[in-house]
Amino acid sequence: MGDVAVAEAALRYAEVSVGYHGAPVLTDVNLDLVPGQRLALIGPNGAGKSTLIKSILGLVPVLAGTSTVLGGAPAQARTRTGYVPQTDSLDAAFPVTAGQVVMMGRYRRIGWWRPTRTADRRAVHEALDRLGLADHGGTHFGVLSGGQRQRVLLARAIAAEPRLLLLDEPFNGVDAVSQDAILSVLRDLSAAGTTLVLSTHDLTVAHELADTVCVLNRRQWAVGPPDETLTADTLRRAYGGHAIELRDGRTVLVEP
Amino acid sequence: MECFVKHGQRTIIAAAAAAALVLLGGCGAGEDAAEGSGNTSSGTRLAVVATTPEVADFVRTIGGSDVTVTQIIKPNVDPHDYEPTPADIQAIGKAAIVVKSGVGLEGWLDQTIESAGFKGTVVDSSQGVTLREGGHEEGEEGHEEGEGAHEGEEHDPHIWHNPLNAKTMVANIEKSLAAADPAHAAAFAGNLKTYAAELDKLDADNEAAFARIPADQRKLVTNHDAFGYYVDRYKLEFVGSVIPSLDTSAELSAKQLNELVAKIKATGTKAIFAETSLPPKSAEAIANQAGVKVIGGADALYGDSIGAEGTPQGTYLGAERHNTQVIVTALGG
Amino acid sequence: MIEPFTVPFMGRALAELALLALVCGPVSVFVFARRLSFVSDALTHTVFPGVVVGFLAGGIEGIVVGALVAGVVTAVALTLLSRGGALSDDAATAVVLTAMFSIGVVLVSRRSSYTSDLTSFLFGRILTVTPRQIAETAVLAVVILGLLLISARALVFRTFDPAGAAAAGFRIAGLDLLLNIIVALVVVAAVRAVGTILVVALLIVPAATARMLTARLPLMAVIGTGLILVAAYGGLLASWTASVDHGISLTSASAVVLLLVLAYLLLLPLGALRSRRKHGRIISSEARRSPHELVG
Repeated sequence: MGDVAVAEAALRYAEVSVGYHGAPVLTDVNLDLVPGQRLALIGPNGAGKSTLIKSILGLVPVLAGTSTVLGGAPAQARTRTGYVPQTDSLDAAFPVTAGQVVMMGRYRRIGWWRPTRTADRRAVHEALDRLGLADHGGTHFGVLSGGQRQRVLLARAIAAEPRLLLLDEPFNGVDAVSQDAILSVLRDLSAAGTTLVLSTHDLTVAHELADTVCVLNRRQWAVGPPDETLTADTLRRAYGGHAIELRDGRTVLVEP
Repeated sequence: MECFVKHGQRTIIAAAAAAALVLLGGCGAGEDAAEGSGNTSSGTRLAVVATTPEVADFVRTIGGSDVTVTQIIKPNVDPHDYEPTPADIQAIGKAAIVVKSGVGLEGWLDQTIESAGFKGTVVDSSQGVTLREGGHEEGEEGHEEGEGAHEGEEHDPHIWHNPLNAKTMVANIEKSLAAADPAHAAAFAGNLKTYAAELDKLDADNEAAFARIPADQRKLVTNHDAFGYYVDRYKLEFVGSVIPSLDTSAELSAKQLNELVAKIKATGTKAIFAETSLPPKSAEAIANQAGVKVIGGADALYGDSIGAEGTPQGTYLGAERHNTQVIVTALGG
Repeated sequence: MIEPFTVPFMGRALAELALLALVCGPVSVFVFARRLSFVSDALTHTVFPGVVVGFLAGGIEGIVVGALVAGVVTAVALTLLSRGGALSDDAATAVVLTAMFSIGVVLVSRRSSYTSDLTSFLFGRILTVTPRQIAETAVLAVVILGLLLISARALVFRTFDPAGAAAAGFRIAGLDLLLNIIVALVVVAAVRAVGTILVVALLIVPAATARMLTARLPLMAVIGTGLILVAAYGGLLASWTASVDHGISLTSASAVVLLLVLAYLLLLPLGALRSRRKHGRIISSEARRSPHELVG
């Protein structure tokens, strides 16, 4: 413990409640993440996963408890956090190219109206390249497949060079090729010290990628390493007592 | 993408419809507009621009063959919200004199004159006419007009419906024509003398026509408040109007409407008179409710306009005779 | 074909429309992308009572101030309402707007004076713009373009991805207010030239037409401006030719707007072709579900 650990913590939530207009959506959240840690938020639809992510971005207020993101208040950390929204929250018909979307990740650096520089264009190209989309910079975002769009959004987050990356259901509607590309990039980022927080209801992905999982449903039910935490018992309690099967020693979740 | 296009289309169609409406309004009587541009260029004759059909008729009568008249507002077009065309502004720019009806009827004129770069004389033909206050003097007690409607400074611009006012107007016009073209002053003076006599005769004829109707039957309901001077001159009772304003863009409230219907019934008024330059729709609705007839169509009154050129009602005298004849027939019949 | 524009009032009309073209091209792109045609429509309704109140309070000079105040108040009100989700009810909003417009009509009716100066706000008087008005429009144009230049990048981000823009630290409410105010300023600037009814066309048709030719936002703005310029030149020329040479009274503002709409209609088949070729793979279920989708 001590000063060093405090300075290094990427995310620290203690007894946190988050919600809108004073009504908590999610309570009793206790998280402690160091740089490079990979946290998966597990829970059914409406469990509060997206709300928790938005609270880390400072977009949903913390109603109780103490919250520290990258050493400060969540809203203060926005310059160093990256966010990958769910693709279906976007206006796909909006006329922008993949390259322009990735450039949005640089907007905060560039400022409101200064022209883009070589460094920005290089960062955009590199981010696209890392996700195997180097040839798609000029492609209209709306004509890309769901998986390609998700990769573009991850590229956008990477272009901002975040220390904490938040991903909301990054594998929803994503094909196998895109999923592999995303997983590989996320592992690299983690190895380089970027802390990852992603929401998912895919337990396989959680096992494969995360070193820590947090089981949520209106409150935090469990947190810890995947093998110890994703037990049939915990999941059964969090998910409401049924739709859980055990197979090959692993927990498989079947939602109704 | 689809919803982009669909949504845009809705508004675009609305915009096109609005544009087309404005366009149609302007085109109303386009066919006889050529007269203006064709004649203004002819050399020595005095170029005069007149705003309303009435005033243009006066100028044509007084000026005779010694002036060329460009009339801006065509017959049966509402003068209250007129939008000048390039040809109108061009004609004003080239004219020696601009004659207006005055009393704020041509609110668009000042700006138009400024745009045209017109440097000549603007003749306000209403000069010297005793003006009526705005609002409704006769119909007051029945109308919930109250707060702020009577500003005192608002005057009724429909002065020409009293032939004696028309005499003042033509006298003003004669004076300005003579000043601008002294060589033809004698001819203008002669024309004025003849016309003044005709106006006196019109006035006498009107008096005589109304004298045949019992005093308690001389009740008038019109489309908008255009006939105040007429009502005053011939001692009619003004019951109310469908558009209770001197302007044509006002609207009757539900309460005012019910009161007007009640008043029509209570006073035993026989008819509502429509006007040529206004749509008769609300007049018909009120007439239905009150169980009276609408005098419209070919018998509509000339409130803000006169008839098309070449028709008997195409002159001031013809239009006014038409009005009196229609009113007398309806009230007496 | 240039000669009519050597006549001063025709030259002034073209200059005024050119200034509006400069502004409406880029602004219409955002109106189109954010589907704010409804907001533009609303503004034209609410600016009217502002105009009347301004006129009653300060005569002709008060009109611009009244319109500005009403425009900005509307921009703020619409921003607040759409955040609360109240604007999703189309019918209720329509009632509110109609009420606002009626207030204007009532005010006009109460004052039984000649209101042609006010009715000109409905239809516009492009041919009688004064040098002073052109100067005012120029000032507004500079302000509008300045605001757009500063905020375009943030507005594009916010339009495409509200959640992402908020996460990146952009204030969505502030951006929405800014855009609404920009639209309000355009309405105020354009209203005297083309009237409240037709100003909507200038804010919607250019980008809708340009979208059929390109998918690039800056190009859309340029094409939009070009379209208005062509329509302004063509419309004024048509109005001139019709009334001066043929005695047909074709009002200028309507001629300009009709040309704009005509361009849109002519390009419709081209747009359909393009979207079939380029976006054939998009499934229709992608129509977005944002609460800012105001009109269906």
